Amino acid sequence: MNTLELVTLEEERAVQAFLLREARLLDEDRWDDWLLMVSERIHYWMPGIENRRREDARGGFNAEHMALFDDGYRELQRRVARFKQPSAWAEDPPTRNVHLISNIEVYAGENPGEYRAFSCFVNVRSRGLDEQYQIAGRREDVLCREGDGLKLLSRRILIPNATLPCKNINTFL
Amino acid sequence: MMDKPTTTLKAIESTPPLADLDRICDMQEGRMAGKIFWDSEIYEQELEKIFARCWLFVAHESQIPEPGDYVATTLGEDEVLVVRQKDRSIKVLINACPHRGNKVCFAEAGNARGFICNYHGWAFGPDGALRGMHESGVYEQSGFDKSRQGLREARVDSYKGLVFATFAADAPSLADYLGPMTWYLDVILDNDEGGTEFIGGCIRSTYECNWKIAAENFVGDILHAGWTHDSAAQAMLGGSVTKVSELPESYQVNWNGHGYEFARDLVGNAAVLGESAINKYLHLHSPKAAERLGEFRARMLGAVSSFTVFPNFSFLPGQNTVRVWQPRGPNKIELYTWVIVNRNAPAEVKEKWRRGAMMTFSPTGVFEMDDGENWEYCTKTSRGKVTRYQDLYVGLGMNSRLSDTELPGNVFRGQLNEANARAYYQRWKDLLQARTWAEVPDRNGKLD
Ligand code: FES
Ligand SMILES: [Fe+2]
Repeated sequence: MNTLELVTLEEERAVQAFLLREARLLDEDRWDDWLLMVSERIHYWMPGIENRRREDARGGFNAEHMALFDDGYRELQRRVARFKQPSAWAEDPPTRNVHLISNIEVYAGENPGEYRAFSCFVNVRSRGLDEQYQIAGRREDVLCREGDGLKLLSRRILIPNATLPCKNINTFL
Repeated sequence: MMDKPTTTLKAIESTPPLADLDRICDMQEGRMAGKIFWDSEIYEQELEKIFARCWLFVAHESQIPEPGDYVATTLGEDEVLVVRQKDRSIKVLINACPHRGNKVCFAEAGNARGFICNYHGWAFGPDGALRGMHESGVYEQSGFDKSRQGLREARVDSYKGLVFATFAADAPSLADYLGPMTWYLDVILDNDEGGTEFIGGCIRSTYECNWKIAAENFVGDILHAGWTHDSAAQAMLGGSVTKVSELPESYQVNWNGHGYEFARDLVGNAAVLGESAINKYLHLHSPKAAERLGEFRARMLGAVSSFTVFPNFSFLPGQNTVRVWQPRGPNKIELYTWVIVNRNAPAEVKEKWRRGAMMTFSPTGVFEMDDGENWEYCTKTSRGKVTRYQDLYVGLGMNSRLSDTELPGNVFRGQLNEANARAYYQRWKDLLQARTWAEVPDRNGKLD
């Protein structure tokens, strides 16, 4: 889509509220409630960032290359299932999360009832007494109306790091 | 490919071995000290006597198919470029300019007609030769000899698609270095006439752990899987990890520190990806693989298994994740992860592996998450002055060696065993003790 078409203030407010609520649910470890905000048709994608030269036509990321997330609903369910296992040793004591969401822009989506939303995030995680990891990035989402509410239909997450500065991403972004 | 000795590398002086190596590591007793994961003097010795000396994995040939294609990586902490040449051979060049040492290539991969240094404009061909520079006239006036100022080269050789390099002029050939372990590597590299390829891209992440704890995990620690990875298995399969002690047949095999541990259950590793298309492919492909590898190895394709080529190149058959544990100090690594597939596998099966490997063994992988914390804290607890000198137990499976077997290498009964870990650390110690390759002892056939 080439043109960005503004939406009404109410619609914009609804999308913003969606994105902020989502962040809060993740910070509260309410993964099942978070999944309810996700469409079963979801494509949740976070490509690996490649440090290539400007003239390289392959660009800084690629749909066929390796990714940190390249998930459908089943994969997201599986990740949530692990978080909830009593034997997820590396989640107990729990990881403590803050998801900061900003730079929200909301436009009309390609299909009626869909929205295109851009946002930035900073995710700060702490584990144990002193571990702290910070990942920032940009997201491009498509939200759709399903049933009586909005759902996340697709998300593309881009971080600036070609090497992840930490050992894992044990949350959703 | 030719195994061409280094011409332009200056040898580094060999330093004396550490005085307390026996205290740090005694594999006859099956014990080592926590210090092995923490100490910076040990790490300096490792950079010199292991990483500047051993054959290290640098690339899969499929990553650089065309002349001028390159990928950047490191040999230990030395940055190198792996470059496909016009004649299709491969060179490994130190990614540091011979003028003041600036990095000459900042991209991780690409295709280049050459590399031009950003600082004073020295321009190198893809073969590393210095071709010219900014203000070349002034160099000519001072009698400058361009032919002596190319990018330094490491020795290169490859085995069935895997490219290795070493800085050591006196190192054995790659074939001798890998020895009989190639028989096991072929399970992955040669089960199909088309050979293998890497899926595009490399995922890099950072762990605050010692490189050996990760390499050791893949050399022969399936023991941890049933416990550490219970949550991931529950999530992916709705049940526990295969109980390894109940598998009818399993082994640890090693040779000069390399180790493969495996069962013959065909799909035990692959199954955790939770993709029926992959299980189906392995079942259908196994009889074809048997024509190349024989019945025995055809049952290993995606079995419960893992492998480390000494010192830091590992993979998991079945999940098809390939990784290098890049040392970045005594208690830090960068993990480079790729996915390997059979070149002739159907596109949809390759795609399942691309996603499945990342879903399980990558920084977001549900299995890897529980590994990371273990490795970081095995490392960090050793920082205590007292802990550093306490013994760590590496004694499982003493006296489990099989002598009545045709299998290549040193063969041990049962995967739930620390035989490979002992052989790995013994090799580590032998290398740290030896001043030259000629001094490294041959322990094959003599391990308990
Ligand atoms: S440092 Fe490379 S040209 Fe001077
Ligand atoms: Fe593991």
